[in-house]
Amino acid sequence: MNVLGLPILTFITFLPVAGMLVVLALPGSRARAIKIAANVFAGLEFAATLLLLTRFDAASGEMQLVERLPWIKSLGAQYLLGVDGISLLLVLLTSLLTFVATLSSWNAVKGRLKEYYVFLLLLETGMIGVFLALDLLLFYVFWEVVLVPMYFLIGVWGGERRLYAAIKFFLYTLFGSVAMLIGILVLRGQHQTFDWTAMVAAGSVVPAALQGWIFLAFFLGFAIKVPMFPFHTWLPDAHVEAPTAGSVILAGVLLKMGAYGFLRFSLPLLPEAARRYAPAMAVLALVSIVYGALVSLMQKDMKKLIAYSSVSHMGFVMLGLFALTPMAAKGAVLQMINHGLSTGALFLIVGVLYERRHTRLIAEFGGLSARMPVYAAVFLVMTMSSIGLPGLNGFIGEFMILLGTFPVSWLWTAIAATGIVLGAGYMLWLYQRVMFGKIVHPANESLKDLTVREFATFLPLLVLVFWIGLFPRPFLDVIDKPVEKIIRIVNPSHFEAPR
Amino acid sequence: MTVPAGYGLRPLAPELVLLGAAVAALFVHLFAGRRGRRAAGYVALAGTGAAGLVLALTPASSEALFGGHFIADPFALYVKAAILLAGALALVLAFRFFDIEGGEPGEAYTLMLLVTVGMMAAVSAADVVTTYVGFELFAIPSYVLAGIFKKERRSAEAGIKYFFLGTLSSAIMLLGLALVFGLAGTTSYAAAGPALAGAPSRAVVVAMALVFAGLFFKAAFVPFHMWAPDVYEGAPTPLAVFLSTAPKAAVVAVLVRAMTALFGAESAAWSLVLQAAAVATMFWGNLAALTQKSLKRMLGYSAIAQAGYIAIGLAAWGDTARMAVLYYIVAYIVMNAAAFGLILLAARGGRFDETIDGLRGLVRRSPVAAAGVLVVLLSLTGIPPTAGFMGKYFLFTAAVEKGMVLLAAAGALNSAISLFYYFRIGKAIFLEDAAPEAGPGGPEGLSRTVTAVLAVSAAALLLLGLLPGLLTAPAVRAVLGG
Repeated sequence: MNVLGLPILTFITFLPVAGMLVVLALPGSRARAIKIAANVFAGLEFAATLLLLTRFDAASGEMQLVERLPWIKSLGAQYLLGVDGISLLLVLLTSLLTFVATLSSWNAVKGRLKEYYVFLLLLETGMIGVFLALDLLLFYVFWEVVLVPMYFLIGVWGGERRLYAAIKFFLYTLFGSVAMLIGILVLRGQHQTFDWTAMVAAGSVVPAALQGWIFLAFFLGFAIKVPMFPFHTWLPDAHVEAPTAGSVILAGVLLKMGAYGFLRFSLPLLPEAARRYAPAMAVLALVSIVYGALVSLMQKDMKKLIAYSSVSHMGFVMLGLFALTPMAAKGAVLQMINHGLSTGALFLIVGVLYERRHTRLIAEFGGLSARMPVYAAVFLVMTMSSIGLPGLNGFIGEFMILLGTFPVSWLWTAIAATGIVLGAGYMLWLYQRVMFGKIVHPANESLKDLTVREFATFLPLLVLVFWIGLFPRPFLDVIDKPVEKIIRIVNPSHFEAPR
Repeated sequence: MTVPAGYGLRPLAPELVLLGAAVAALFVHLFAGRRGRRAAGYVALAGTGAAGLVLALTPASSEALFGGHFIADPFALYVKAAILLAGALALVLAFRFFDIEGGEPGEAYTLMLLVTVGMMAAVSAADVVTTYVGFELFAIPSYVLAGIFKKERRSAEAGIKYFFLGTLSSAIMLLGLALVFGLAGTTSYAAAGPALAGAPSRAVVVAMALVFAGLFFKAAFVPFHMWAPDVYEGAPTPLAVFLSTAPKAAVVAVLVRAMTALFGAESAAWSLVLQAAAVATMFWGNLAALTQKSLKRMLGYSAIAQAGYIAIGLAAWGDTARMAVLYYIVAYIVMNAAAFGLILLAARGGRFDETIDGLRGLVRRSPVAAAGVLVVLLSLTGIPPTAGFMGKYFLFTAAVEKGMVLLAAAGALNSAISLFYYFRIGKAIFLEDAAPEAGPGGPEGLSRTVTAVLAVSAAALLLLGLLPGLLTAPAVRAVLGG
């Protein structure tokens, strides 16, 4: 299917770049025109990804709408894009959150607007490319393209310690990704191709010992991105210093790139190593869950609290992936989406207060529910979604992960469940301290409730939170086949065992 | 393509054109008076362009000509084109430099052309004597170039240092070449190779070690790099561009000839030596660059480190490595020239600011120049979609294909380390602010020439990074000889 003469995947990958060029062409003094252009393109991009739905066949677990062109002939790298259910959901999440983030920046960003939107749109192309690329070299290129705009978003528009946070983010992730590059090169040496579909089709041609090393190299790249304990230390700094839109995208999409990498590459391409290291990975995931939750309990800064809660939530995703059962893995994919929605929304919620009060310290607030009833309702829904209240999206994902992990190890399940309890603790306590009680600080007396524009940014997130919570079928249908296909490769014994 | 015998001087034409241009530049400089400063430069640039044109029309041939002394094979033509590119970039930057600094550019232009001729002769040498003569023709004027600002202490020191260490290294290399002759009984590469294969291995390794020592010195591979930071820092900036790029291309070509034609039988030995050199050079260059305060000295160390990546390709020599090295040399020349060019962007009171802090807030003064620098920095670090990434990626692939995974991993690790200092530049330009009048360039403004060089280099690096086939295709042709 073509859009404006371009194959659809290419079109949605590079539409933000077109938007970027339009923004670049506008004179820097015309702030309003720049904002409108950026928002229009982010909206068009979201519409274009919705268009993708009409062409997507959920019954198939294979890569669809594949586009293949020769790229570097001498080394057999190709321009190869394709989409399956997993990519589809992540692409939709990316375009939605980018649109929301763009919309939320309307008043929040002051100064160097043009550059801001240029980087935001470039970032979107990088993220979409990561989820669509099926050639490992192309994947790496998009993966790295993401780094640069995020470095600038944190470094230019961030908080006080932005310079430190920006370079820390950049250095950390670059160290991980160069390790991954070596892994990709070694893998290519075994397969003589960068083509993911061909590698999967070829089956296990990589010797088990070598798989271990490649797994380790990929692990460095992906685990830093997720981030898993003990590679998480860049995350709180980056989140706290990043502007709201940057945090939304960082938590909502960038962290998913790491988990996606494990699911798309480490599991099916290195199945023996993945099986061997699964227990170790699960333990790291459990440490992340509990450690992230405990640290969240102690935070005084709202943004830092939510940042650490991401460590805990992504621990759930990792546990789901490395339980190596279809149920847990599907839960993990769904939880990736859920975390993107709810944490993205929570960062926006903090951003709303920060724009009004220029502080994020919990102690500065209290009793806001009386002044900001709509805000309080939105915050409450998102808090519950993050905790995993039945009826909302978080519950489905977490429940599936626990259900899928239980046959593998009741102990893991039990430890993970304590993470949920702790999660309820820090989130409810946060809500209580910010929203309930008496207004202590006089500046809080005159706080304005959500504006229409602000509410509009939350609306799609709210709808999805309820939709996934009440009727998750359409989402699960889409990921069912592709996830099962991957788990079949990595853990065939699960399907043989008598029930 | 084979060329019929007796077609005269045609394969030598690019060198002859340059030689003519050098003489012309000298005379223009002598007779045109003060206005002739720029004129001599134009003559030199036109000569370089003409030589490039003639080079493009030179038929490739793997036949040794002029009594077996000279060969214009595709490999040599490709490297010579790279050398001319480096020369042209340095000349353009020199215009800007001498506009601000004054001095005696006529001499510099002439000497630069002579250096280029020497390097091109060395690249095309089919005989060890020609190699040596070519190297001396490039070495002696480059000592003068490094010290051309004789009244400035730094420049004079650079010249003297380069001269003493350079002549020593030439002598060592000559001794090695003499041993080659002694063992093989011939000076021609083609004939010496088989003869050396039959010679006592230990003696051949000694000869190789001496030749390599001389070559490593000129390429500034660790541990023969001691002169390089001082010379790159002390030499006038455009000459630092020239001396840190073109000689490396020439040395790589000669090293490859020595490795394959002379010491092909000792490939295990030279591969090991080059692996060690690659690792040492990358780590030394990058770690030393981390602590520099002067932009110019930092770029000097960065140039050393970048050569280390090329050594990876040499250590893993083969079809992939050949393509990788040829690709990376061009990327290296462009990004290194652009990075040094950054120093020439802003001047105040007749001086160039060589500190990183001097670049603060550049993005406000010139978004175009800043965007250009960003691409150059990404390319130097090795982040896609730039030529620097593709080049490193080709080099690492070559190493992995030869089973040298750890070598590739060391390269990748270095790429991450280098981010730290390259993005100190990026940070100053994009993330730090300066008062408008205190910003880069101050009231004098920024150089349009340098801005153009940065923009064009950035565009080229992006284009080559996205479509590496543009360069690998010629590189592949240089490999296959067709």
